[in-house]
Amino acid sequence: MSFFTALKSHRVAIILIAFSACSNPKKPIVLEKVSLGVESKSDYPMLLSEWNLFKGRMADLIPSESVFAYDINSALFTDYAHKARFIRLPEGETVDYHPTESLDFPVGTVLIKNFYYPQDFSRPKENKRILETRLLIHEDEEWKAIVYQWNDDQTEAEQVILGATLPVEWTDKKGELQRINYSIPSQPQCKSCHEFNGEMKPIGPNARQLNTKYQLEDWRKSGRLTGADSVQFPKLVSYLNESKSVNERARAYLEINCGHCHRREGPAKNTGLYLLTSQTDEYRLGVNKAPIAAGKGSGGRRYSVVPGEPDRSILAHRMTSLEPGEMMPELGRSIEHKEGVALIREWIEELVN
Amino acid sequence: MKITSYLIIISLLTSCSEPSEPEVAWKSIEVDLQTLLIQAEDGDTIQIPAGNYMFKKSLILDGLTDVVIQGAGMDESTISFALQESGAEGIKAANCTNLVFQDFTIQDAKGDNIKVTDTKGVRFSRVRSMWTGDPKKENGAYAFYPVLSKNVIVENCIAIGSSDAGIYVGQSDSVIIRNNEVFWNVAGIESENCRWVDIYGNNAHENTGGILIFDMPGLTQSGHTTRVFDNDAVSNNHENFAPEGNVVATVPPGTGIMMMATRNIEVFNNRIHNNRTVGATVVSYVLVEELGAEEGSQLEAANDKIDESYDPYPNVIYMHDNEFKNDHWFPTFQNDFGWLFFKEFPFATPDMAIDGIFSEDNAFVMCLENNGEFKFANLDAANDFEGLTTSWEAFDCKGTSIAPIF
Repeated sequence: MSFFTALKSHRVAIILIAFSACSNPKKPIVLEKVSLGVESKSDYPMLLSEWNLFKGRMADLIPSESVFAYDINSALFTDYAHKARFIRLPEGETVDYHPTESLDFPVGTVLIKNFYYPQDFSRPKENKRILETRLLIHEDEEWKAIVYQWNDDQTEAEQVILGATLPVEWTDKKGELQRINYSIPSQPQCKSCHEFNGEMKPIGPNARQLNTKYQLEDWRKSGRLTGADSVQFPKLVSYLNESKSVNERARAYLEINCGHCHRREGPAKNTGLYLLTSQTDEYRLGVNKAPIAAGKGSGGRRYSVVPGEPDRSILAHRMTSLEPGEMMPELGRSIEHKEGVALIREWIEELVN
Repeated sequence: MKITSYLIIISLLTSCSEPSEPEVAWKSIEVDLQTLLIQAEDGDTIQIPAGNYMFKKSLILDGLTDVVIQGAGMDESTISFALQESGAEGIKAANCTNLVFQDFTIQDAKGDNIKVTDTKGVRFSRVRSMWTGDPKKENGAYAFYPVLSKNVIVENCIAIGSSDAGIYVGQSDSVIIRNNEVFWNVAGIESENCRWVDIYGNNAHENTGGILIFDMPGLTQSGHTTRVFDNDAVSNNHENFAPEGNVVATVPPGTGIMMMATRNIEVFNNRIHNNRTVGATVVSYVLVEELGAEEGSQLEAANDKIDESYDPYPNVIYMHDNEFKNDHWFPTFQNDFGWLFFKEFPFATPDMAIDGIFSEDNAFVMCLENNGEFKFANLDAANDFEGLTTSWEAFDCKGTSIAPIF
C-alpha cells in the first residue's frame, strides 16, 4: 500500500509559525512546611548498627558471622555509585535454586546493599564515603525495603523513610572532578523497581547474575545453595567485558537497567516493551515499535529502536534525558551514563543486518 | 476559527511580558502526606487540607484498600508538582483496591499527573487535573491515567492541557467516564485497549480530538465493547501539540470522535458540533501507522511483527441519533487529511468519514441510523483514494445496541 505519497500530494503548502521562546526567570519559591500531625514510625531499627550486620568499625563493612558478601555480573547504573553487597541468611538455612528469577531466599533473609563513592575512582579502595545502605528483608509473606542514610563521620546510619538529596563529588578515572546531587530514594519508591506481579521482590540475585567466576559453584559446593545438583548455571555477561559481543553486552545492560520494569511481570508491562535477555522478539525489544504512553519521552522520535539509527531511537533519547517524566530509568539517575549510552547506541547501529 | 487563531497568538505573546498568574503562597505538606500514605490502613480517609501545596517527588500509594484521598474542594486544595525533581508522575498508585480521589486540583507534574495501575476499583470525583499556562508539548502526557485496572470511574472531573490525553484509560475493564469537562488537551478523552466502557455526559471542547476510542498493537489486551453517548464533542479544533511518535500526534485538529482499530462500539445521542475537519471518523491502525511512519521506513516489516492476535481493522460500529453540525468552511490545514478534505470536498467537509481500509478476512459492519443531515465520506485509502465516495447507502442499517455495563 502506498497511499502515503498519494496523501502527501494533496498538501498545498506548509505554514510554519515560529515563536521565540521567552525565558521567564523562575523566582525562587519558599515553601513553608505545614504539619498534618503525623509522626513517622517504622517496624525496623532506626539505626543501622542495631542490625549488627558488620563487625569492628562499621564503615569498613566487614561482615559479621551470619553475613557474607556477594557479587553480580552486571550492575545497575546509579550515578556511578559503587556498591558493596551482602546477604544475611538465617542460621542453618539455605538458598533454593531458581533457573530464571531471583533465587528462593528463606524467610528471615536480609539483602544488604551499600552505596558509596571513593574520593578518587582510580583508587577505589581508599577514602570511601558511604551514603546509604538499603536492606531488603524477607518477612513471612513479603519482602520489605528500608533505607539508612550514613552520617558525615561514617560512624552510623539512620533510617530515612522519605529519602534525601546529598551533594556528592569524586574524581573520575580521567582525573576530572565530578559533582552531582545524589538522591536517596524514599521507601515507597523502592517498589517502583522492585515489583514483580504486584509484590516486592529482589532484582539482582538471580542465577545468571550470581554466576560469576566461582560464586554460585562455591555456594553449591558449600551447601549454601540447594536444589541445583546437576544444574548448568546460566550466565549474564558483564556489560563492561569488552571481549564479549556488543549484542551480549547491550542486552545485559538493558536487562539490569530496564528489564526489572520492562517485562511482563513488571510495572512497565503496559508499554509492551520487554527488555530481559530472554526476550527474542525484536518488536518486543522495541524495533520499529511505536511508543504507548511515552508522552514527551518520545523526544519527537517515532520508534523505540530504529535499527542503525540511534538518533532516531526513543531508547537512546530517554537514556540521555535528565528530565523527570522523560528520562529512563525513572529513578536513580541524575546524570547520563555515558558508557551505557555509548554501548546502546553501538548496539542500535549494529542492528542493521 | 480565524478569530480563535489570532486569540491564541495574542495570548502567547502577552504571556511573555508579564506573569499571568497571581502570586501563590506555596506551602509544603510533602513529608507528612507521603508519611500518611505509607501508614494508611484499610478504610482510611487521607485529607488534603485547603491551601496550595508544592511537591518535589512523586506521591506514591501502594497496596492500599478502601482508601479515600479527600481534598477540601477543587478550588480549595491544590497540589502542584511544578518543582518536581524525581519521579515520572505526580501521584502514582499501584496494586490498590477501591481507591477514591476527590475534591482537589493537581497540576504541573513533569510526566503524568495521576497514574493508577494494577488496581481493582478506582474512582476520581471532582478532581481538576491540569497543566497551567498555554497548552504546549512540554506538558505531561495524561492528566488522569488509570491503566491495567478494573472498575474505573472518572466523573465530574476537569482535565486541561495534556500533551496526550486529558482522561486516558488504558488496558482496563469496566470503565465509566461520565460528566467530565475536558479542554485544551490533544485528546480530550481516550479509551485505549479497554473493554466494557461507558463514556457519557462529557463535554469535550477545544481539544485537538474530542473523544478517541483506540486499539493499539502489542499490549496486554485488545479493546472492544464501548458506548459513547450523550456527550458534547464541540469545537475540538486545537492545534496538535503532542510530541511526535505518540499515536495522538496523528490526530487531525478538528476531530470530534475518532475510533481506531476497535470493535463493538455504539455512538449515540451525541452533539458533534463544529469540529472543523471531521465530526466522527472510523479508521484502521494501518492508516495511523502509515501516517506516523517516516517515508522510507519499513512499515510492512513493522506490521509483520505485530502480534498475530491484533486486529488492525475497526468493526461492528453503530452510530445513531447523533447530531452533526459544522459551521466551519475549511478543515484544518495542519494535517494532510485536512488538505485532502479541502481538495476533495471544497466547502463541504465530511461530518463522518471512514478510511475504507478493511480486513480481507472479515466483512466490515457499520450501521448509521437516524443521524439527521450529515455529510459522509469513504476515503478508500486502501486504493490511494481512487474509489472515494460520499454515499453511505451501504451503511444504512439498524445495528444492535450494547447493554449498559452496570
